[in-house]
Amino acid sequence: MAAREELIKKIQALLPQDAVCRDDSYKAGVVFAAQAPLGKLREAIKLCEGCGYYLESITALDFQDTFELVYHLNCYEPTSRISLRVLFGHDQSPPTVSDIFASALWQEREVCEFFGIRFTDHPDLRPLLLPEDADFTPLRKTFGAVHAYHKREEIYG
Amino acid sequence: MAEHFPEPVVEQIYTLNLGPQHPSTHGVLRVLLDLDGEFIIKADPVIGYGHRGHEKMAENRTYKQFMPNSSRMDYLSGLLYNHGFVLAVEKLAGVQVPERAKYIRVICSELNRISSHLLWFGTYVMDLGGFTPFLYAFDDRENILDILDRVTGSRLTYSYCRFGGVTRDIDAEFIAMTRKFIARLRSRWDDYHNLVTKNVIFIHRTRGVGIIDAQLARQFGVVGPNLRACGVAFDARKSEPYEVYDRFDFEVPTGVKGDALDRYNVRLQEMEQSCRIIEQALDQLPSGPHINEMAPFKVRPPKGEVYLAFESARGLTGYYLVSDGSPYPYRCHIRVPSFGNLHVLTEVLKGTLVADAISILGSIDVVIPEIDR
Repeated sequence: MAAREELIKKIQALLPQDAVCRDDSYKAGVVFAAQAPLGKLREAIKLCEGCGYYLESITALDFQDTFELVYHLNCYEPTSRISLRVLFGHDQSPPTVSDIFASALWQEREVCEFFGIRFTDHPDLRPLLLPEDADFTPLRKTFGAVHAYHKREEIYG
Repeated sequence: MAEHFPEPVVEQIYTLNLGPQHPSTHGVLRVLLDLDGEFIIKADPVIGYGHRGHEKMAENRTYKQFMPNSSRMDYLSGLLYNHGFVLAVEKLAGVQVPERAKYIRVICSELNRISSHLLWFGTYVMDLGGFTPFLYAFDDRENILDILDRVTGSRLTYSYCRFGGVTRDIDAEFIAMTRKFIARLRSRWDDYHNLVTKNVIFIHRTRGVGIIDAQLARQFGVVGPNLRACGVAFDARKSEPYEVYDRFDFEVPTGVKGDALDRYNVRLQEMEQSCRIIEQALDQLPSGPHINEMAPFKVRPPKGEVYLAFESARGLTGYYLVSDGSPYPYRCHIRVPSFGNLHVLTEVLKGTLVADAISILGSIDVVIPEIDR
């Protein structure tokens, strides 16, 4: 539990009070969710690295009004998973975290090819799973048939 | 081998394509190897040949329609994936599961884990040139497939779980077959150890080969037996117990060095631990219904999200579901263990011999279609 409490304390110090939300019931599979502004993302991820966490998953959510990146981080202790979330516009580029966690090298490549999110300063953004010449971004809600394309507030509001 | 690695002479770099159809790549994997003589100076895995777009498919199907897809990602531990998906949806939608169903799921999942490890054992030793153990392992695995076939109706791509239970109850015959199988498997350990574990060629091919230390594992998000082989006792069944795993007494086997031999030993010990879990589950098996008849036919989880982690045969796997309140998931992301386990090879293969590359690739037990999704 030590790493988890230490990290939560550090992130609470970094981000404003209303951006963090703790849930000890582990209902959504995370003990702690934090909404970071784009500019503080790398700082928050660095804190996780310093506390012995590993980067479990990076994925994006596509909403009508915004993109949302969801980083799940975990450490080798019971029920310690946290999520870091960052909102940014469809025309913006988030910074890479691949120099902090090597596993982001591939995970960001995957997010890039499926959502068209170009991570700045990423050394190698070739498609990972799609063909080399893929000029489409399949997991965008504008691609193919989709059931719903919501504004973010319709789900999380 | 890394200490003998000389500085590469740039003019002599030779690029070798390992795969996409190499027998040791376990799925369609291509690895671009830059060689200096017999030493690898750069390895670049090329994946995606088996990409089917499961995450996009999920968005166009109801939760129930997507369920059969779940076992087609990692086809060697399909039941575990099926189980995990059902757990995630149940957690999101608040569906109640009868006690008996929970035990049945655990029993079948652990059987599936053993069958996956047995297949790995057989193919790994075959990669290293030993054909006989492969036949032994497949003989044992066939017993599991028969047991699971009897209750689930399929041999590989199971879709046995339902939201609120399992599709078919187990009977006395199933229990007898399972107990008989466990006794049989235990009587085979001696054969396995005599054939492989004590084999001097096998030891030379694996000891000190492909070392993944704890720091490297954390950097690349390595999980499962590969992580436990370097001494980190991390198992989702212990760290965030799902289903009824907190009621069983079992250990998390770990290694010391994190080399291929440790990974081999960890997996062999894990099979024994799975046997222990199955035995306890059979002893504790409660009576009652095997499915919650009141579970909704069309699942409509409330708005929100869930991240459910479970331990597949290859490590911690996670389903990340976002619901907009409709019967269709708004987003379904699957965090697969082989992703990090394969990615770490770009670092581990540097400075090793080509022959060791096959040994290392086999020892980390990747299933490519799970990465490709």
